[in-house]
Amino acid sequence: MSFMQPSPVKYACSCGILNPINTLFFCRHCPKLRCGFCVTHEIESHFCSNCLENIPSTEARHKKNCCANCFDCPCCQHTLSARASTVPVVRKSEEAKEPKDGDSKGEATPPVPASSKPSAVPTTKKMYYLSCLSCRWTTRDVGIPDQGVATGTWPDNECLYQARFNALVEYFQAVVLQEKQEKLEFMRRKAPKQHKFPSLTDRTGLTVSLIRRQIGWNDKAPKAKAVITPAEATAEVEGLPENIFTEPLNLRNVTTITQRHSQPADQPTAVGSLYPQRRSLWIKRSLRCRQCEHNLIKPEYHPTSIKYRIQHFASYHVPEVVMVRCEQPLVAGKSNAILLKLTNPTIYDMTIRLLTASPPEDPQLSTEATRVAKEEPISSSPLLKAVGITLSRQNSTREVKRDVIDISNAEIVPLESEFVLNQRDDSKEFDEDVQLSTEEPKFIVWRKGNKVLLRLQFTPAEELSGLADVVLGFYMQYTYVNTVNNAQEKREPTTHVLHSRVFITAGATEQKAN
Amino acid sequence: MEIPDTYYSKDEYVETASGNKVSRHTVLCGSQNIILNGKVIVQSGAIIRGDLANVRTGRYCVIGKNSVIRPPYKQFSKGIAFFPMHVGEHVFVGEGAVVSAATIGSYVYIGKNAIIGRRCVLKDCCAIEDGAVLPPETTVSSYMRYTARGTIEGGQGNPYFVPAAMQDEMINYTKSFYEHFVRAPAPAS
Ligand SMILES: [Zn+2]
Ligand SMILES: [Zn+2]
Ligand SMILES: [Zn+2]
Ligand SMILES: [Zn+2]
Repeated sequence: MSFMQPSPVKYACSCGILNPINTLFFCRHCPKLRCGFCVTHEIESHFCSNCLENIPSTEARHKKNCCANCFDCPCCQHTLSARASTVPVVRKSEEAKEPKDGDSKGEATPPVPASSKPSAVPTTKKMYYLSCLSCRWTTRDVGIPDQGVATGTWPDNECLYQARFNALVEYFQAVVLQEKQEKLEFMRRKAPKQHKFPSLTDRTGLTVSLIRRQIGWNDKAPKAKAVITPAEATAEVEGLPENIFTEPLNLRNVTTITQRHSQPADQPTAVGSLYPQRRSLWIKRSLRCRQCEHNLIKPEYHPTSIKYRIQHFASYHVPEVVMVRCEQPLVAGKSNAILLKLTNPTIYDMTIRLLTASPPEDPQLSTEATRVAKEEPISSSPLLKAVGITLSRQNSTREVKRDVIDISNAEIVPLESEFVLNQRDDSKEFDEDVQLSTEEPKFIVWRKGNKVLLRLQFTPAEELSGLADVVLGFYMQYTYVNTVNNAQEKREPTTHVLHSRVFITAGATEQKAN
Repeated sequence: MEIPDTYYSKDEYVETASGNKVSRHTVLCGSQNIILNGKVIVQSGAIIRGDLANVRTGRYCVIGKNSVIRPPYKQFSKGIAFFPMHVGEHVFVGEGAVVSAATIGSYVYIGKNAIIGRRCVLKDCCAIEDGAVLPPETTVSSYMRYTARGTIEGGQGNPYFVPAAMQDEMINYTKSFYEHFVRAPAPAS
């Protein structure tokens, strides 16, 4: 019923995968359907899903993609909450308050009644510990001392290999940096020289290095190469501790695989070594069409915002097909009819045809596609190609295309004519009038605003047996008015004839009455 | 799939001037503390504990059959206190769900038999799977899906867990639920 359940109506994406319309996107530049599989996913922003704090990407990298304030339970991976407890503190600085009382001159500050701060009562201090409200694990269970501040002050669990790991990270960062510099250097040398003599007024800053090179000096003092002591393999393995043979094993004290994996640094085997883990950050994604590199969706930056800066959902561009019901119980080989509700989400009228065979490709679109393909190699310079650097993103811009698997097993009777799906008009939403047009085709049951209910005849295949799902498949051809133009010279919106393949799972067949 | 019509008898439901449809077979404790902002459906068997604290819902909410809406409490050293509960617009609470959240944003879907622990915060456009159990004080941020296994999945722009157009989906769903929730035609006498 709701969108949380699998939808009976599926559209074939341009990559060949079947999807319900609410997971599809529409690229207006291609113009084609796109799904999560055939777009590039990019990180738009990092945030913590618990405290909803936005974390800039550089900071996120610095903090190893973890939130500074939130912790996960090492036992069940739920979020830990800070719990306050009051601890009595012996106030040793009672006399420290005395000069303050002397300072107050009476006029400057309102007189404080002496009874408001009775010095005789032992003072208390708030101390915090972390507790899991899901499994009741607390930091006290593993003997971590309580902290004076609620958030952030929990020390990181330093593992045995931390120093070695940091050294390795540092080393490889240096290696990457060096490689980058070498690449840059190579490109600079390869670049064609404009003049035989370097201009002294050159503002790029390359002059000095050019002169140095011409004189024959080394361009720059060679940087000290990063060094690291390589790890050494040893044949000697420590023996098992004595107590493993003598003491009975208590399985309650052994951690589960999930618990070990959630604490990857030391992967403790005993529950006593569990330690609160910093919560991983989440991302908002923007999706980009792989073929034309235009954004399909781009969410608003802020973690609590639900808006998009760019949103090209398929449901905003493609007529939506909703299955209402079948007229009769489904029986194999017996003619039936299905009621479908089609909705036009655009502000232009659409002409729709339901076809059983693939309509010819829009010639306008196919020429455009080839044009794009031809231009592609010129866009990045051959020099950059030679070095192996592309300015474009590091993903394949080629479209992966597969054939749509025809899963239909019912024969539909094509509609005798095309019909018009009226434009969406939000001002007419409450208009309940059912327009009765005289020359309406027979298959249209009713028409309300931008919606049409139509009746489609079909026959489930004869050979279906038992409780098999009946699947209807057809090509829905529709006109689409595109307001964006790939070509610069045209300004007016262009009308395309597009089609999508739609599959409808009408339901299971009933046993044939004998 | 189109939502089929749900019929109710004239005796079973009370329709208010603002379009709320409230079943007579519900327990609305402290009804003066319950504010339903219009076009809200409260189905039979639902319990709303307005006697504990204020409960306020936005427009086009659906409170499913046998669900419990119970304002959250917080424990202090000197006892406990109940806090008001705010529910946004276009929120669907499934059958048998027990909701004790502090706030529920707009366009939120709560599945059947889900349990939302006390003082949870459900942000706009999140979804709770059928049968999911949220421990107290859980935050589910926008476009996240809390699964029955107890994990949080998704995020805005991830098309696999919560629809990218969750706002539109929930508006359509709750509106059509309301439109298809109709009074049974009077039997022809
Ligand atoms: Zn695709
Ligand atoms: Zn956080
Ligand atoms: Zn836990
Ligand atoms: Zn595109």
